[in-house]
Amino acid sequence: MQPNAPQGDTKRKNNSKKIKFSINDHLDILTEILKRLDGPSLCAAACVCRLWCALARNDDSLWEHLCFRHVSSPPLSSVRPLILALGGYKRLYMLCLRPVLSRLNRSGLVPRVRTLQDQVQRLSLSLFCVDYYERNGWLGGDAAAAAPSLRFLCKPVNV
Amino acid sequence: MKRELEEDRSTADAGRRVVKGECSSVSGGKLKMWEEEEEQDANGGGGGMDELLAVLGYKVRASDMADVAMKMEQLEMVMGTAQEDGISHLASDTVHYNPSDLSAWVQNMLSEFNNSTNPNPQSSLYSDSLHRIQSTTSCLYDDDSEYDLSAIPGVALLPPKDSSTEIETHSRKRLKIGGESSGHLSPSPSSSSPPFVTTAGIVSEPSRPVVVVGEDSQETGIQLVHALLACAEAVQQENMKLADALVKHIGFLAASQAGAMRKVATYFAQALARRIYGIYSPQDGLYSSYSDPLQMHFYETCPYLKFAHFTANQAILEAFATAARVHVIDFSLNQGMQWPALMQALALRPGGPPAFRLTGISPPQPDNTADSLQQVGWKLAQMAEAIGVEFEFNHIVCSNLEDLDPAALKIRPTAVEAVAVNSVFDLHRLLARPGAIEKVLGLIKTTQPKIVTIVEQEANHNGPIFLDRFTEALHYYSNLFDSLEGSSIGFEPANEDVLLSEVYLGRQICNVVACEGTDRVERHESLTQWRTRIESAGFDPVHLGSNAFKQASMLLALFAGGEGYRVEENNGCLMLGWHTRPLIATSAWQLAPNGSK
Repeated sequence: MQPNAPQGDTKRKNNSKKIKFSINDHLDILTEILKRLDGPSLCAAACVCRLWCALARNDDSLWEHLCFRHVSSPPLSSVRPLILALGGYKRLYMLCLRPVLSRLNRSGLVPRVRTLQDQVQRLSLSLFCVDYYERNGWLGGDAAAAAPSLRFLCKPVNV
Repeated sequence: MKRELEEDRSTADAGRRVVKGECSSVSGGKLKMWEEEEEQDANGGGGGMDELLAVLGYKVRASDMADVAMKMEQLEMVMGTAQEDGISHLASDTVHYNPSDLSAWVQNMLSEFNNSTNPNPQSSLYSDSLHRIQSTTSCLYDDDSEYDLSAIPGVALLPPKDSSTEIETHSRKRLKIGGESSGHLSPSPSSSSPPFVTTAGIVSEPSRPVVVVGEDSQETGIQLVHALLACAEAVQQENMKLADALVKHIGFLAASQAGAMRKVATYFAQALARRIYGIYSPQDGLYSSYSDPLQMHFYETCPYLKFAHFTANQAILEAFATAARVHVIDFSLNQGMQWPALMQALALRPGGPPAFRLTGISPPQPDNTADSLQQVGWKLAQMAEAIGVEFEFNHIVCSNLEDLDPAALKIRPTAVEAVAVNSVFDLHRLLARPGAIEKVLGLIKTTQPKIVTIVEQEANHNGPIFLDRFTEALHYYSNLFDSLEGSSIGFEPANEDVLLSEVYLGRQICNVVACEGTDRVERHESLTQWRTRIESAGFDPVHLGSNAFKQASMLLALFAGGEGYRVEENNGCLMLGWHTRPLIATSAWQLAPNGSK
C-alpha cells in the first residue's frame, strides 16, 4: 500500500500545483480497506503511522468485521450493542478471539469449519462476559489487562 | 566435597546441603568404594575406621560413624529423587545399606534376589507409585490385572467400576522391590496384623528411618503412599500411637518428593494428624465451599468450575428457549460467576431476551457483612443493564438448605415464569444431615422447575468405612493436584492463584479425612449414586446436548495442559476428567411427568 500514488503528468498541465493522491486524505476508503484485513495484518497496519494507529485504536468497526468474518450466519442486530457495552470489538478480539483461535489451531481443532466458528464465537463471547463482570467495579488498576479468570488465555501455552 | 562433608557434619542438617551443587564432583564409583570400606569396617568391628577414612581424606571419628551413616541415608534419599543433569545417574548407580542394621540389610538382599528389577525412568505420577505398590506385593498373587488393590494389606478395593482404566498402559508388571521395611509387608498381605508388627519396626527407631534406595528413583513415592495407607488403617483400628508415628514418617518422606505428590501427601498427612489428635474445628465445615474467597482462585486457575458453569448454562438456555420470563434459583451463588454468560446468551436469543430473575441462596458469613452479598447483586444488575436484559435479584441467607421456606422463593405460576434450579458442588453437603437431601429435593419439586442442573464431584467419599474413603480421596485428589500441576506449567513457579487453589482443595481433604458426623460436609458421591437418588425423588434425566459437549471440549483445549483433560458423555451427563479419571459430573433433570412418586 503506497501512500503516494504516482504523480500525474505535470508536463501536460500548465497548473503549477501537482495533484497527489494520498490515501490518508480519504479516511473512509482507508477504513473500508482496513476492515477487510485479517488480524495479524491489521495489527501490522496499526504500526505504519500515527494516523493508521489512531484509526485502529479508536474505530471499533474495523475489528467488527474481523470478529465475525467466518460466522455461518450474519450476526444478529442485538450483538453489536452487546459487544460495545462489554468493551468493544477490539477488546473482544484481542482478549478472547485471538487467543482462542490460536490455541485451537495449535491443538489441531481447525476453526475453519463453519459450525466450529459459531462455537468459537459463542465461547469467546461467554469468556468476554466473564471478563467484563470481573473487571466491573475495579477501581484503578490496568484497564486494558484481562480479568484474572481470563489470564489462562494470556499465559504462554506449554505445547 | 570432603571439607564440606566435615563442616556439614557439625551442623544440624547436613544431608541436604551436601547434595546442593557439589554432588556432580563425586562419581558413582568413588562413593561405592567409600561405602564398601564402611561396610567392611562395620563388619570388622569398631577400631581402625578413622584411619581408613583418613586415607580417603575424611576425618571421621569412630563414634560419629552412625551419624554419618544417617546423613548418607538422607543423601541417598535426595539423590534418589534428583532429576537434574549430571547427577541423575547417581540415583541409579548408588546403593546404600545402613551398616549398623545388618538384619535389615540381609533381608533386603534376600528380597532383591526374589524379585526381578525393572527400572523405569518415568516421572512419579501418583498412579505410577500406587501401581508399583501393588506390584511389589504381587509376588504372592497373580498380578494379571494392572490395578489390583487387593494386594495392599487390609485396604478395601475401589468400587469395581471403570477405575481399572486409571493406570496408564505403559506401567505394566514391574515387580520392583519396595526396598525398606515396607518390604516386610509383602510376605503377608492377607492378614492385617503383620503390617503393624513390622511397621512397628519403623516406630522403634523413629530418628533413623531405614531407607534402602534401589535402582528405581521412585522408591520414596511408593513408601509414601504405603505409609499413608498404613496410617489410615492404623487410625481406623484406633491404634493412635502407631498412627502418630506413621504421620511423622509420612512428613519426612513427603519432604523428599516434588510437585503434586508432595503437596497431596502433605495435606493428607495434616488431615490425618488432625484426626489423630481430635482437632477439628467447625470452621472446617463452614468454610469449605460456600462464598469462599479461595473458590475464586480455583475458578481462575483450572477449568473445572468454568466447565460446570458453561455446561449447566447450556442446559438452562436450551430449557428456556421460548420462555418470556425466567427465574433461576441458585443454591451456589458465591460470586455469581455463572450468570453473566447466561445473561449474554439470553440477550442474544433469536426472539430477544426474557425477563431474568435470579434468586441466590448463601449461608450467613461471620465476617462477610451483607454488603459483599449486595455487591454481587449490584454487579449482576449492572451487567444486565449493559447488555439490555431486564433483571431482578433476590438474595436469601440460609444456613441449612433444608430449612428454606418455599415461600421465600416467591415462585410465580409456571405459565408466567419458567424456573430453573442450579446447584454446583453444594448438594453433597446435605448428606451430612439425615433427611436433609430428601427435604431439599422435595422443595425443588414444589418450585415446578423446567430444569434442574446439578454439578457434583465424581467420587465416592461417603462410604461407611474410613479406610475406603481415605483411599478414594487419595486417588481423587492426587489426580486433581496433578491436573493443577499440569495447567501451571506455562506459569512462573509458585503462582499465587495455583497455590491458593491448592489450599482450597486442601480444606476439602481435611474435611473428608479429619471430620465426622455433621461436621463432615464434603460427602461426595458418584454420579450413579446421585442418579438413583434423584430419580427416586421423582425426576427424569435430561440429556445434555452435543452443543454442551462441543463447547466443553473447546473450553478445555484452551487450557495449558489441555491434552490431559477429557470430556466424557455418560448417559446424557457430561463428565470432566484428568486423563482417564473423571473428576466432576454435570447432570440435568426435569420433573417426571406423572407428578411426585
